[in-house]
Amino acid sequence: MKARYLVVLIAALALVAGACGGGSLDAAADCDGEIPSGSTVEVWMHEGSEFTELDAAMQSFNTTTGPGLGITVEVVSIPESGYTDAVKAAAAANDLPDIIEFDGPTMANFAWAGSILAMEECISDETKDNLLPSLIEQGTYADNLWGVGTFDSGLGLWAWRSALQEVGATIPTDPDDAWTAEEFEQVLRDLKAAGYEFPLDIKPWYGSQGEWFAYAFAPMLWSAGASLIDRGSYDSADGALNSDEAVEVLTLFQSWVNDGLIDMQAADDSNFLEKRSPISWVGHWMFSAYSEAAGDDLVLLPLPDFGDGTRTGMGSWAWAIANGAADADAAMAVIDFMVSDDVVLAITGANGAVPGTKSAIAKSPNHAPGGPLELYVTQLEGAPDIAQPRALTPAYPTMTQTFTATLDDIMQGKDVKTALDEAVATIDADIDANEGYPEPE
Amino acid sequence: MTTATEEGRRNSRRGKRQESTTAKAESKVAWAFSSPALILLLAFTVAPFLLAFILSFTNQRLISPLPTRFVGLDNYIDTLSSANFWKGFFNNVWFVAVVVPVQTAFALWLAILVNRKIPGRVFFRTVFFLPVVTVMAAAAVIWSLLFNANGLINAIMETVTFGNFTVDWLNSTTWALPAMMLVGIWQGVGFQMVILLAALQDVPEVLYEAASIDGASRWQQFRNVTLPGIRNGLIFVVTVTMILAFRLFDQVYIMPRVPGGPLDSTRTMMLDLVETGFGAQAIGRGASIAIVFFVIVLSLTLVQRRFIREEGEVT
Repeated sequence: MKARYLVVLIAALALVAGACGGGSLDAAADCDGEIPSGSTVEVWMHEGSEFTELDAAMQSFNTTTGPGLGITVEVVSIPESGYTDAVKAAAAANDLPDIIEFDGPTMANFAWAGSILAMEECISDETKDNLLPSLIEQGTYADNLWGVGTFDSGLGLWAWRSALQEVGATIPTDPDDAWTAEEFEQVLRDLKAAGYEFPLDIKPWYGSQGEWFAYAFAPMLWSAGASLIDRGSYDSADGALNSDEAVEVLTLFQSWVNDGLIDMQAADDSNFLEKRSPISWVGHWMFSAYSEAAGDDLVLLPLPDFGDGTRTGMGSWAWAIANGAADADAAMAVIDFMVSDDVVLAITGANGAVPGTKSAIAKSPNHAPGGPLELYVTQLEGAPDIAQPRALTPAYPTMTQTFTATLDDIMQGKDVKTALDEAVATIDADIDANEGYPEPE
Repeated sequence: MTTATEEGRRNSRRGKRQESTTAKAESKVAWAFSSPALILLLAFTVAPFLLAFILSFTNQRLISPLPTRFVGLDNYIDTLSSANFWKGFFNNVWFVAVVVPVQTAFALWLAILVNRKIPGRVFFRTVFFLPVVTVMAAAAVIWSLLFNANGLINAIMETVTFGNFTVDWLNSTTWALPAMMLVGIWQGVGFQMVILLAALQDVPEVLYEAASIDGASRWQQFRNVTLPGIRNGLIFVVTVTMILAFRLFDQVYIMPRVPGGPLDSTRTMMLDLVETGFGAQAIGRGASIAIVFFVIVLSLTLVQRRFIREEGEVT
């Protein structure tokens, strides 16, 4: 009797295990230019800062463009903290929707794993040519385009102009005149001497929310001539993340923490809003809150130059055709709508991000020449020499998790060289465990 | 499962006296009644565990185009030689060593308090139980604000110690884990209190009357009547608290700036499992951590049970 139960149990387990293995997948979306009428396109979105506007845009699709094409959009909202895990879990269960939103650098891993489909064949030349070059760069892996965004991100230093003037600092507004690391440190020390207890705000409390540390502080390594990984072969972090340049720049950063130039205890935005920290190292999303607090006194500066010229981050949440798409043409039509000027301007008007299309940038007063956010556009147009994409490799999820923990260790006082060597070992072990992440054919 | 086997035993005993056909019929009824629970247990506990056991010998990834291969004991070797795993293990042991005795003693103290016939005791029982029904993730966010260097706890500490003791709790390698112990105890103690309260109410009143007639003091009554009376409840509480304490995850994931920080001083085995299995998508190695974790907790539970039982037999 008992043996029979055991056989049944093992058979059941084998069935489950077989289902987990999954079948072989087509890497590219199959676009034939025809949309079956009555198509429903399910879109998964994270509940981030621009969710309300994005959701409103999706709903307006259903009343404007949608009926003409015979497409209805259904939005599924997922909390930001668990979003990427939810997509991974759905991918493992072969249960993906038609369109997923993804955070820029996770693209290569999704593409490699077959969770999203290449859209090269689906996207029209007209749409593609109008996209910001930085978006195409961040969305390309293995010579194929996998995702496009409604907007791109901007990263720099927000400052209270009056505080900088108080200590007689120069005010660079163009990437070419960025402060050198020494100049930046001098400004911070002068501000501290002038009575600002913690001159620099870096949002340490974003830390556990995933991408912040890698997005904001990898540019520091790039600017020093280092990198998270060998950018040519993507097969090892050795000699890149633990290079002398990396050790030197992170040791400098560690000394700023030790000398009290940065408030590591900050738990909200009040340090900058109340001018206790007159310089804030942060992205575009703080624009409206900061301009409300500082008004005309607010100025946007490039990140400091750590030796090789200033570098900054780019890439943000973007759209991809997921492996579960019933009809790739229908999914592409929805994505097309999300990168149309009206939608782009409605969203970037609310969150301060850089519009994802050239035509929308021209219509956005904040981003036009002379506008308060012009620097973001200059930086992105200079990609990949100024704004630089985060590593376009399937190893990225491990790299960002490792770098975040390592940078936190360094800010807590761990020996920089030791910390970086350990990080290299972790990243290289992951690449080995995945047989070097061979590119899909 | 226990109920089912007890039922079966009772049935077989009865079967010797009665006709065997009745026993068979009853046994069928027993299986029918227990089958929903058994099926659910099989599907959601036994099967995943066996799957994890199988996966732990492969290089299974969460999502990957690479074929899954059998890798022998590689995952176990990686796990047992990983510095992160052992950091997690020792943090877990330290957490359990403090939380289990403190939380049990505190729960017993609260249970005795709310067991007294004082006005408003239902109110106090509810208040002490409230943290149990809050979501740990939400509570952890609030507590991390309270533990901020400029937060409420330090404000109290400053007043109470006249400015002699304030510490940046969650950014200190010494104090981050104790802060999480406090949160764990705060959240778990109400549940233990309720179980001990039930045990206390099972102790017959006459024993206390007899003891006081014999001239036993309050302390002697507690030592010789209360404690032996609630022994089973206490054993249950200690065992469950230990298992729950080993599963420490929510606080260490949410409260520090990065999970397990600062400098890995709050890393636990569960965190290592989630970061390996989901973060790095290495399901095979994650499964090996789960199996090792299970073996550790199971053996500690068995040791504990044996230790307590033998002591019980002596008295």
